[in-house]
Parts: sequence; C-alpha cells; structure tokens
Amino acid sequence: MAKDMTLLWGSSSPPCWRIQIMLEEKQLQGYNQKLLSFEKMEHKSQEVLDMNPRGQLPAFKCGNHILNESYAACFFLENQYKSQGTKLIPDSPDAQALMYQRMFEVLTLHQKMVCVIYYNYMVPEGERHDSAIQRNKEALTAELKLWEGYLNKTDCCLAGKEFTLADVLVFPYIAYMFHYGLSSERYPALAKYYNSLKDRPSIKATWPPYWQKFADQDALKTI
Amino acid sequence: MAKDMTLLWGSGSPPCWRVQIMLEEKKLQGYDQKLLSFEKMEHKSQEVLDINPRGQLPSFKHGNIVVNESYGVCFYLESQFKNQGTKLIPDDTDQQALMYQRMFEGLTFYDKVAAVIYYEYYVPEGERHDSAVKRNKEALDTELKLWEGYLQKLGAGSYLAGPSFTLADVVVFPTVANLFRFGLSAQRYPKLGEYYGLVKERPSVKASWPPHWLENPKGDEDTLKDV
Repeated sequence: MAKDMTLLWGSSSPPCWRIQIMLEEKQLQGYNQKLLSFEKMEHKSQEVLDMNPRGQLPAFKCGNHILNESYAACFFLENQYKSQGTKLIPDSPDAQALMYQRMFEVLTLHQKMVCVIYYNYMVPEGERHDSAIQRNKEALTAELKLWEGYLNKTDCCLAGKEFTLADVLVFPYIAYMFHYGLSSERYPALAKYYNSLKDRPSIKATWPPYWQKFADQDALKTI
Repeated sequence: MAKDMTLLWGSGSPPCWRVQIMLEEKKLQGYDQKLLSFEKMEHKSQEVLDINPRGQLPSFKHGNIVVNESYGVCFYLESQFKNQGTKLIPDDTDQQALMYQRMFEGLTFYDKVAAVIYYEYYVPEGERHDSAVKRNKEALDTELKLWEGYLQKLGAGSYLAGPSFTLADVVVFPTVANLFRFGLSAQRYPKLGEYYGLVKERPSVKASWPPHWLENPKGDEDTLKDV
C-alpha cells in the first residue's frame, strides 16, 4: 500500500526520479515523501542514514523493506504490483530481452556522461589531464551515437512499441542530458524520444521542481 | 534450449562468470561456448563484434536474441526458465527485497573492486597517480566493511539475501572470488571469507571456475594485501 511507503529524494536526481515515475505507473500515489537538499548536505542527515547507511538518495522503504537502489525498488515494485497499473515487463521474449539489454547498457552511457559533466568534481586538481578530458568526450560522443542508432530504429520506446521498465530507468538520464545542453540537432532520435515521453502522465507528474547546480549547464553543448 | 545458446567469454571476468553460473543453475549445460583471450585482444575480433558491437565479453545469444549485459542475461534466463533448475528469485518478500537491493549494490561493489584491481588496464600510464590508487583503495575498504557488516547481520551459513542462494549470489560472488584471487585478507574480512568458502563449493560455481585460476592457483596476491 502506498501509505506504507516512504521516499526520501533529491530534486533532479535520476535515481530518485525513476522511483517516482515507477510509483505513478503502478498507481501507488499517496506515498510518504520528503524532498531533501544535496546542497545543504541533507543526504548525510541522520534521517537518511537511518534508512541508507551510504548517506545517498533515494532512500526508499516499502513496508519493512529497504530498497535504496533505484533499480531494486523498481524491480521489486513491478514484481509486487504486477497486476496493478502499467505492465512494465513484457511477456514476449524478444521485447523482454531488449528491455533488459538497454536498461543495463544505460549504466555505461551514464558512466561516460558523468566522466564529462563531473570531471572536475570527481578528479582532484593535481590528477586532471587534458588527454583524459579529450578521451572522455570522445567516448561519450561514440556512446551517444550508439543510442541515437538504437532510438532511430524504434517507433516509440527502448524495447519496441510499448513503454517498459527500460524507459522508466533510462528516461531520467536522457532528460538530464538535454538539461545539460545536449544538442537536439546532433541527436534527433534522442530528442524525439525525449519529447515524446516528457508529457507522459507519470513523467509530467514527477518532473523535477528544480535542477541541481553541481555542473555547468552547458556541459554537453559541444558533444 | 541450451543448444540454441552461444556464449563468448573470458576467463576470470566477473560479468562472464555470472552468466556461466546462471546457465549451470538453470540446468542449461551444453550451450555453445568459446573462451577468448583479452590479452590477445580477441574480444575485438569480428566474431565478437558480430554479436556485440561494443567488442566486449560476455556476448550471449539465444536463437536470434542477443543480450550482452550480464545482469540482463541473468534476469532474462530466470524469466524464461523460471520452472527449471534452481529458483533464483524467492517469493518470500523479505528475501526478494534484500536480493534486489544487494544485486544492485553489487554494481557499486564491482566498480570499486575493478578500480583497484584493473587500475592499470583502465588508466593510461601518463595519467596514473599514487593519490588516485590510494583513494581507490580507501573507497574499496569502506565498501568492504559494508559487505562484511551485511554478512555479519545475517549470520553464519547465510547467502546475501538470507537462507537461500539467489540471483544476488550469482552476480556478486564472482566479484568476491576476484577479491580473494587478488590477495584480500580473510583475516581482516572473516565474514567475506566465510561466504567465499561457502559459495565456492556450489556445483555451478565449481563447474565454471576460471580455467586459468586452476592452472595457476596463486593469483596476483600483492594487489589487495594491504587493503
């Protein structure tokens, strides 16, 4: 039941957003939730540490079950509420396999994106290299071309005609990249995917109230 | 059917090993497989690129279906062969929730282990720094303490999600095995040591033990000896 669920979250954090989208898709509105501030270090507060010893958001409790990993929360919710709301894991083996492939491949896309957007945040000054910055940009560009190819072949969503768990998990990263200046002209298929899903009720209802300012808003403009 | 399956793999690679354990657990022995060498760059060969444009291992095919992400293969196989072999996703909600949580924490765990044991593979020579190596080891130490704590809480003889062997063990055990291969101290991490000792005897794990580890029982034990 939604009222037995609690979500501690930070605005625009893709892992937090995934769980919110999931809860909407499974008709689990009405859960307890609290918006916390990364800037004020609230993710390291006792309230969060009590649920998540890693001091990270999201921190999510479903009854007695702690599911701080966004993928874990989404898989668990789909399993427990299989017959409620949108069916997010297709029965067809082909669609299912493609869904699983894309939802795990996106972790690579994310890693490459982070290496570009958050380079200065992750790498101390004395360890930074222009060669690394260049390589990271090239790697991200190559990765985005792959995804552009994947989305070029599809009518709607990552695993085919239906919106699936892959889209719940991936869409927040795509939105994040467009927020950080990714070019719709250079990546039209990604832009089409983004535009076609941003008005989906579960996504619209959970759109971040504000975006974090950890990085330069034009970080991806030249990719 | 196993004979419609093909796995291209590299020895000792945790993502490859996960898939092999999975195929054993689901009684899908008899699949086509080929051991390739990372050192000889065989993961970039045409044979791999035909299945996996990323030129990475594992590369896995089932009929016309291709799944190259190890977690993806594990979920796909559990779903398609639910009623065959070991049941790897428990119905009991406590174990199920804990299984999912640990599986995905397992990704962070693997990243932190890889950052230390594969440092020189990932970072070109001119960009390596002792300060980074130190920081990565400290991050791994923090992560290891967390897992030691998780196992401590569950008690002796437990798997990662409780009394049953689950998907969490399929995906995380290869990471743990690599830790000990690279010299992690079972004295400093007794619970992880016990877990390693427990799971390494499982038939699916024994059947898929990395061949080059059998040939050379001693690994590069200096890497993690001071972690």
